[in-house]
Amino acid sequence: MIHEPPPFFNRGPSPLARLTFFALAAIATMIADHRFGALEAMRLSLSVLVAPVQQAAAAPAQMLSRLGDYFTSQDRLLKENQELKAKLLEYAAEAQRAKLLAGEQEYLLAMTPPRSRYATDGVLVEVLSHGRNPFTRKLVLDKGLAGGIQTGMPVIDAEGVVGQVTAVGTFTSEATLLTEKDQSVPVMLTRNGLRAIAVGSGKDGSIDVPFMPVSADIQNGDLFVTSGIDGTYPAGLVVAKVTAVEKNAAYVFAKITARPAAGVDNHRFLRVLTAAKPALPPPPAAPGDDKRPLREKPAKTRARP
Amino acid sequence: MRAADLTPVARDVMKLPAGPGLIAGSLLAAYLFNALPWSGGLLLARPDLVLVVLLFWAIHQPQSVGQGIAFLLGLAMDVNDSMLLGQHALAYVFATFGAQVLRVRILAFPLGEQTLHVAGLTTGAAAVVLLLNLLLGSSFPGLAVALSPLLAAALWAPVSFILFLPGLRRMRRERPS
Repeated sequence: MIHEPPPFFNRGPSPLARLTFFALAAIATMIADHRFGALEAMRLSLSVLVAPVQQAAAAPAQMLSRLGDYFTSQDRLLKENQELKAKLLEYAAEAQRAKLLAGEQEYLLAMTPPRSRYATDGVLVEVLSHGRNPFTRKLVLDKGLAGGIQTGMPVIDAEGVVGQVTAVGTFTSEATLLTEKDQSVPVMLTRNGLRAIAVGSGKDGSIDVPFMPVSADIQNGDLFVTSGIDGTYPAGLVVAKVTAVEKNAAYVFAKITARPAAGVDNHRFLRVLTAAKPALPPPPAAPGDDKRPLREKPAKTRARP
Repeated sequence: MRAADLTPVARDVMKLPAGPGLIAGSLLAAYLFNALPWSGGLLLARPDLVLVVLLFWAIHQPQSVGQGIAFLLGLAMDVNDSMLLGQHALAYVFATFGAQVLRVRILAFPLGEQTLHVAGLTTGAAAVVLLLNLLLGSSFPGLAVALSPLLAAALWAPVSFILFLPGLRRMRRERPS
């Protein structure tokens, strides 16, 4: 066009030189981020800049959904109310029992090192949006460092574990869903106390439980809860229900698939458990055997909670 | 008296260079569009408007927008999409380079053929992001990803139309009468 300077003016390095420079810079950024996690501070500060834009972009949809809430028919609200009341009664009985158990547990724990393994404190958060990365399963939550959220905290809904906080900005944070590929949770079977690790499969609504021997006592419909031995998830949160057990003697391991108990993709309000991590004793030094897959422990029969 | 009205006052107003305000505003608007709460299949097929607007400026105003801005926008998109930092930066830098090399050729064509060229650039950028994610061990997200660069290219004509609106250009440089 007419405003372009003639080519004999100095225009800096050639496009190819620039491409080389910026491509190398991008690759260096990726390596720094992926390998060393060195750019958390940069991401954090960028996210402060980006947060208002994100909120502005999310505003219309939120307004629409609020408007929708406002106009819900009374009929539905009444029905929902009744259902909730019924549920409340149901839970009241449970709560009584839980109180009893908590008392017992306190007594028992008083005799062991002083730390609670069960979930206590939490922060209610609202889901701002699904993470906008089609390659991963993440949620953006409306509280961050300012709301007391830290990386590693478990995120739950009324039914069970939804995921884990994996990145925290100042005012928003990011939770990775259970179903994210390679997102793992140490779990325990409620029926017999069998310990395992549940690993997200990267597909919607499905979790794998790898490295369980063919002889492991796992059945369809069994419930996995967090075992609490990792120091991240408190014990006793419902994680998933076994939906398929495929045992083939030709393979060393059984193929176990489970469905997350929580509405991993459903809810708008979630709870982040902020209780301080229990102080774990340092792990025993076991030279060379930390790479072995998790094997079945001798089946201890535990009383059901 | 009426004759003055017939003089082509706004004849080459389209050729006025766009001010930094218009460039920044259009990129911000595109970023807002990308930051809308897309989810599921819609997210896979989301046309990358930021890339289209970036290519528009790289082609029509190469002295203002180049690979440096592409790189920074890419970082911003990575933060928005909570991806590994640098993926979009790499993709955008490659696409902008393509635009810089092809710009004289692209400008010689009418909008329809320009769209085809832009489709090539957006597909290249999407392929860079997809390949990087596959390399990093993600599973293939679904065929809808192929739709995204095509939809982005389809936005080329509307974006060109809007950013060439004389009103937008004249905001900066009022023509002395």
